[in-house]
Amino acid sequence: MNTTTFPDPPDDERLSAWLDGELDATARAEVDAWLREHPEDAARARLWAADRDALRARFDPVLDEPIPPALLQTVAQAGRGGPAPALVQPVWRRVAVAAGLLVTGALVGGLAGVAALSGDPARLATLPLPWVDPSQPRSGSWTHRAAVAHAVYAPEVRHPVEVNVAAGSATEQRAQEEHLARWLSKRLDLPVRLYDLRAQGFELVGGRLLPDAAGPSAQLMYQNGAGQRITLYLRKPEAGAAAAFRFQRDGELNLFYWVEDGFGCALVGKLPREQLLALAEAIYKQVEDGIRPTPATKAPAS
Amino acid sequence: MPRLRRYARSLLFDPAPADDLVQSTLERALSHWHQFDQRRDMLVWLLSIAHNAFLDQRRRDHRLSIVDPAQIEAQVDAQRADPGADVGLRLDLSAALSRLPPEQREPLLLVGVEQLSYAECAEALGIPIGTVMSRVSRGRAALREHLDGRSRPDGVRTLRRVI
Repeated sequence: MNTTTFPDPPDDERLSAWLDGELDATARAEVDAWLREHPEDAARARLWAADRDALRARFDPVLDEPIPPALLQTVAQAGRGGPAPALVQPVWRRVAVAAGLLVTGALVGGLAGVAALSGDPARLATLPLPWVDPSQPRSGSWTHRAAVAHAVYAPEVRHPVEVNVAAGSATEQRAQEEHLARWLSKRLDLPVRLYDLRAQGFELVGGRLLPDAAGPSAQLMYQNGAGQRITLYLRKPEAGAAAAFRFQRDGELNLFYWVEDGFGCALVGKLPREQLLALAEAIYKQVEDGIRPTPATKAPAS
Repeated sequence: MPRLRRYARSLLFDPAPADDLVQSTLERALSHWHQFDQRRDMLVWLLSIAHNAFLDQRRRDHRLSIVDPAQIEAQVDAQRADPGADVGLRLDLSAALSRLPPEQREPLLLVGVEQLSYAECAEALGIPIGTVMSRVSRGRAALREHLDGRSRPDGVRTLRRVI
């Protein structure tokens, strides 16, 4: 860190963005360095952080309050065919069919659940509505395990994967790819494919086997030219798991996950949602089309 | 729904109007459900609806506001009782928050309490990210001033001293 040529002092906006984690690594390091040298600015940032924490503490208890019956009623009526049946119900199906996916876990799941148990607000209030808080994963959920696995292995410099497909000659890489796909397919009892994200700028690094709740899962890791890594977590969902395609946040990680036809997968990364979505769509398409990537065309590792 | 309720409460403070806001948000969401892109974050979508409902409500309240003489007197009394230069004056958190203009309060709450990213906050409020950044920082600084009691009491607004 060069301490002699400091950039301009961070203004309020910069300091505020720093507090909110909105700066990139370079800018953040600059502010960090500035704050180390300028205790009065550091104190100001601490006060802001304290105010933020106080606001959270002030309003967080609302989360634990029982939901008033009138509000549940609104949702339940719509689900039962109350005020807007024509609008609500057919649209769900149309959306679901059009996307080839079931919209679950979100509002629809909540509506269906509420509708199924209509008439008892007290009971409804205690139901774990699946859409209660989509951005806060439960710690026992498999998507959380996917996020943790990402957090553990993505920063690894020397051993990010068990089977490395990016090392050696093109022939060796090809052999490793075939081995990886065969091995993971066998262990997961799923047709694991090495999805091709080169059009999106991400090269496959390799993969590893991981323990999931009831059996093995797998993690494929991809990396782009800027060194950003994303991981794809694959598992066999529990029997009867509802189909879904959803976005979730887990700490500073974003993830898209989907479940269908005995196949569950979660794409995890620190990328912005839009970018991650484009990647998720590319993978989803390959899963759907059953396209096997053609490693033979892969450019030699540079 | 709990997070929607928390946001409404942090905007309006009183449980009843806050839940009214949640109610109209849910109604709007249900009737516009077909417009929801399932790949979007549901919470951001609901918050953007809540934001619009909040603005509509404010506009309506403004149009329909009836001047209550007793209330005005109470305000004048409160102002008289407040020396204005009272450096030790400290507003409690809710009062300080309520003194922020809504255009600062909303982004501050969405980012600070709801922990949205600037991009998501911009999406929910329909404003550019740069605007989110400046409003969050101005809101933050203003909130701190209110809490420090450094700001001047401004005109007719009643000060809620809750200590």
